[in-house]
Amino acid sequence: MNDYLYDGTYSSLLGLIYTLIKSKTIPNVIKREDEYISNLFMEPIYLKLENKELINSLKKEVSMLVLYTAYYIYLSNVNNKEMIIYGFIKNAIKYKNTVFYRRDIYVVSEAIRISNQVKGEAHRMKGFLRFKKMKNFYYATIEPTHNIIWIITRHFKDRLKDECWIIKDSKRGVYAIYDLKKVTYLQENDIIKLNLDLSDDETLFEDLWKTFFKTVAIKERENLKCQMNHAPKKYWNNMLEMEDL
Amino acid sequence: MTLKEKLIILSDSAKYDASCSSSGSTRRNSNGVGNAAYSGICHTFSSDGRCVSLLKILMTNACIFDCKYCINRRSNDVKRALFTPEEICEITMNFYKRNYIEGLFLSSGIIKSPDYTMEKIIETISLLRYKYHFNGYIHAKAIPGASEYLLKKLGKLVDRLSANIELPSDSSLKLLAPQKNVDKISTIMDTVKKNRSKSFTPAGQSTQMIIGASKETDLDILGKSEHLYNTYDLRRVFYSAYIPVNKDNLLPSIEMPPLVRENRLYQADWLLRFYNYKVDNLLDKNNPNFNVLIDPKADWALRHMEEFPKEINKASYYDLLKIPGIGPKSAKRIVSSRKYFKIEFKDLKKMGISLKRAKYFILCNGKYFTNMEIFNKRFIESNLILENKEPIKNVGVQLSLFNE
Repeated sequence: MNDYLYDGTYSSLLGLIYTLIKSKTIPNVIKREDEYISNLFMEPIYLKLENKELINSLKKEVSMLVLYTAYYIYLSNVNNKEMIIYGFIKNAIKYKNTVFYRRDIYVVSEAIRISNQVKGEAHRMKGFLRFKKMKNFYYATIEPTHNIIWIITRHFKDRLKDECWIIKDSKRGVYAIYDLKKVTYLQENDIIKLNLDLSDDETLFEDLWKTFFKTVAIKERENLKCQMNHAPKKYWNNMLEMEDL
Repeated sequence: MTLKEKLIILSDSAKYDASCSSSGSTRRNSNGVGNAAYSGICHTFSSDGRCVSLLKILMTNACIFDCKYCINRRSNDVKRALFTPEEICEITMNFYKRNYIEGLFLSSGIIKSPDYTMEKIIETISLLRYKYHFNGYIHAKAIPGASEYLLKKLGKLVDRLSANIELPSDSSLKLLAPQKNVDKISTIMDTVKKNRSKSFTPAGQSTQMIIGASKETDLDILGKSEHLYNTYDLRRVFYSAYIPVNKDNLLPSIEMPPLVRENRLYQADWLLRFYNYKVDNLLDKNNPNFNVLIDPKADWALRHMEEFPKEINKASYYDLLKIPGIGPKSAKRIVSSRKYFKIEFKDLKKMGISLKRAKYFILCNGKYFTNMEIFNKRFIESNLILENKEPIKNVGVQLSLFNE
């Protein structure tokens, strides 16, 4: 069994996994090349397989739902996610769409669980994200557990299509920039300096929001544990109304 | 008065309405700002643990009515405020674009007349929809007694309408809210039901009942809910534990709102809507109130031990739903999975199904979770009660609702 490396993109991971499954090769481990810690005993194999034909033939064997599930796992922060995707796709080829009912198979149940976790965080973030109004655009900072910026931008593009906005994942140094036409993703190094001057009415509405948030709570029903269960503390940093708590 | 002062008064007096949901609508962003998310989105959670999804405000807290339980009643000496339509639009749009909220929940005290109040609400929401091109979620209160043509106009603008019953029986309503009347609320519900479509209150209608301000039993309350669900296709009945904001001889004097009772009613409400239970299954004249120590479903199961244990690999979908700890999601998962493999206890965990409560009531391939001796009513009951210690602390409050 060998270690296999890929360049970090989803399509080359899929290409690699599909090649391994078709050639009946069982990998020891699959890792991004920049995350791989080399060891003395193993020479890793690096495959760059961003091959459209490969992906197309995989698409013929499994449904889009399977590929979406695999994509969500790919976005997760789980350590051995590549091996889970490998196991999941292998089972998906075998069982087709009934793979989703085969939770008796450990790797399948893990795959569904992790993908649901990523989807869940993406849904939460659609609510918890806060924009600040700058002079020229709306600006939000997020620090999600999973790499979900890629799957939440569509939501904001539909909603705020007539406003320019930027979402920054400060954990991963990724920016999603919407310019009224399309969303572009940039790395921290590619960004020219942003003008982060607040719009004139920003402090007024921030203050009104914090006021509303405090007023709407019913004192006789205080339940901080319940609050924390629904809005975990790890998100509070970027939730304006939690700042003074 | 500053905008901030108005917001404090008009959100403070709106907070007792329990409805928070922003789900059930698929309104798209045709050419403007915002859309609705079918599943609804919670934007934050206040310190009482409730979800904040909509900007929940009153247009005004001035009111010509004098409902005993209401903080805004005419006879109360409180500061009154009034938002102009422009002010409401400005706050809504600015909150929405910053992603603080999913939309607006607009209610109001009744000023001048029901029709006048409705017209003001319609004016505000029209402005929001047509001038600001706002396509986010809007929940509006329908004012009892307003003309039907106004209700029809409002229904076309909003995603959800609600008219609050507040008290579960006519006699309590007469006693505590003499200017309200059941017929006016029924008329609203009937009109909404008849006109509901994709462009008329797509997210349906809801209502709310106050729990513990009047003498009704859980049976009365839940019976009322069942009737409302069946007659008017309500999406939700909300229950709001009575919080004493006014002093009045006609009102019970309590220290703490009856939160456990409220919780039991919500649990039972879920059983009506998603679990195929009828009120008759859960309560009767000899047992008109829920057990505060144990949730209604487990309580039912313990009173019907002859129905258990149920075999996970054979029981029908509706039988699976009767097992404490198994909900619609888990039951569906079981039914679709067992076609492909025989489910063992270890598989249930992998299927994301909690055994914490279910383990006492099921068999997997003929086997009990541990051994048969634990299949004993008293043993199970005490285990289930021990498991949720928290509500027990509040039992005292439950039992001393009224000073008689």
